[in-house]
Amino acid sequence: MSIFDELQQAIIDGKAPVAKEVTERALGEGVRPAELFPNAIVPAMNEVGRRMRDCEFFIPEVLIAARAARAATDILRPLLVGDEEVRSAGTVVCGTVKGDLHDIGKNIVAMMLESAGFQIVDLGVDVPPEKVVAAVREHGANVVAMSALLTTTMVNMKAVIDALAAAGLRDQVKVMVGGAPVTESWAQSIGADGYGKDASAAVETARSLVAAA
Amino acid sequence: MNGRERVIAMLQGQPPDHLPVMPITMMFASDLIGARYLDYATDFRVLAEAQMRVAEGFQFDYVSVISDPGCEAADLGASIKFFPDQPPAIDEENALLADKSKLSALEIPDPAGGGRMANRVKGARLLKEQSHGEKIVEGWIEGPCAEAADLRGINALMMDFFDDPEFIAGLFTFVLEMEVAFAKAQVDAGAELIGIGDAAASLVGPKIYQEFVWPFEKKMVDRVHALGASVRLHICGNTRQILDGIGRLGCDIVDLDWPAPVAEARAAMGPGQALLGNLDPVRDLRNGTPESVYAAAAECHRQAGPRFIVGAGCEVVRDTPPANLAALVRYGMEHQA
Ligand code: B12
Repeated sequence: MSIFDELQQAIIDGKAPVAKEVTERALGEGVRPAELFPNAIVPAMNEVGRRMRDCEFFIPEVLIAARAARAATDILRPLLVGDEEVRSAGTVVCGTVKGDLHDIGKNIVAMMLESAGFQIVDLGVDVPPEKVVAAVREHGANVVAMSALLTTTMVNMKAVIDALAAAGLRDQVKVMVGGAPVTESWAQSIGADGYGKDASAAVETARSLVAAA
Repeated sequence: MNGRERVIAMLQGQPPDHLPVMPITMMFASDLIGARYLDYATDFRVLAEAQMRVAEGFQFDYVSVISDPGCEAADLGASIKFFPDQPPAIDEENALLADKSKLSALEIPDPAGGGRMANRVKGARLLKEQSHGEKIVEGWIEGPCAEAADLRGINALMMDFFDDPEFIAGLFTFVLEMEVAFAKAQVDAGAELIGIGDAAASLVGPKIYQEFVWPFEKKMVDRVHALGASVRLHICGNTRQILDGIGRLGCDIVDLDWPAPVAEARAAMGPGQALLGNLDPVRDLRNGTPESVYAAAAECHRQAGPRFIVGAGCEVVRDTPPANLAALVRYGMEHQA
């Protein structure tokens, strides 16, 4: 088994200590940090996303896999700074909208984006629009990713978009939305740029939004 | 037959005069009497007034003390966020058991101790008085997985299943004892039916459900039965992967959320299981018309067969048009099992 396969397997199995050990070993053997993303971490999280969609994985499996991926990325991130050949896939400000405390889905989306090479600024739950605006400014984000699980809080996604517009930032940043009650047509109706049904879709959407920008 | 008799007939396997009608209302009921939801959740008099109003106005067969999952956690000293007109919510960032070692020091709160649990018990007593035996009074407790999630933080709990099965067993055992004590107090106060809400159980998948959750749900159901009450189990969300397990719990009523088709539940649980549900509260009930609601209820009934109770998949959302809810009830009243 190649070292890439080893890392991939450790992530899929949710074994954080193994993922950490393999990552360190790979670096010790001279593997470039940036190589581990396309060859191990991204495919691993894609597989996790697929298993979730096909009901082979449920929330516990997904969360431990995400944790294992983070064990690897925590080591790699600092090493990527200054690597001229890698450009971050983009910076994503994410959070669950105001009034809403559901964050499991948002956390999974954030982790998938992170393992796909995005920088994540996670604002947590119950996030007021002003906080999103401030974070977009501070971090020069390319994408805002908002999650909502309640029909009563979905409307607050529109408030985020309005606040970005009022702050003059709407043209600089793409907005994508998701969460169980959110649909493609709702996303369009509030003027969002993208929608994702699940975490794998979130990655595809984020990639295409950044590419289109 | 009055509502109470109708529900009891269904539960005893006798034919009621028409289908029992038991949709969950909380914020909808609170809005109906113009109360703030904070008051509904924390003052049993407000809850009882709203429940009586909704049950009499819409001709439900039951009244319930359900308000939010935070009663037990609050009495244990967990940090809860209160909002003026929203359900109180557990503050997960500061979860009571963020540090697992605190479990061993937890003590079961006294359900008569003057806290949120006591408020609910008083609600059951007042509803018993006010309903004059015409409606069945439903108490409410949290299931093992849901309450454990409230105490530990749901994100952490999900990983504990892999990291620390022993902790899970200890936590579920504590929760079981606490919830049974809470159920007993509500039964003593007049609840004849106990609702068990185990929302988080829909997230864990069939393996973990079977290994960790099911055994404790089973004990909970059996212990509530031993108190002399019937059990309604409600698991929010998609339960398709665990339907057969749910069917083996021996619940008097399985209250299905909308993502699980009634026909699948019927196939998994056999003809004897009373099934309640399961219109999509948003798409079918709130966004529909009286005609489409009536048709959706008919479809649920067709899939369920005779052992069927009319209701939505989950809580009736607060801005549901009253005419739609009335149409749901009318379906029940116009049909026999
Ligand atoms: C866990 C849970 C809770 C926990 C949340 C803890 C937490 N840290 O998240 C607690 C107990 C706190 C809770 C509270 C409440 N809840 Co709740 N909860 C759930 C539950 C059981 C699971 C939700 C979940 O995590 N799903 C799993 C994740 C992975 O799915 P997901 O979030 O949809 O995410 C996926 C996709 O949507 C997408 N995605 C998500 N976000 C984003 C963002 C972007 C940008 C993109 C592209 C994609 C994307 O990718 C994810 C991965 O595939 C559901 C019922 C259920 N079983 O579905 C109810 C549910 C969501 N809750 C509900 C309700 C009503 C409440 C309460 C009001 C209950 C009450 N009466 O007290 C409170 C509200 C509190 C608040 N202010 O937010 C309702 C919502 C109804 C509605 N549509 O309005 C549900 C559907 C239950 C029901 N049937 O009624 N809840």
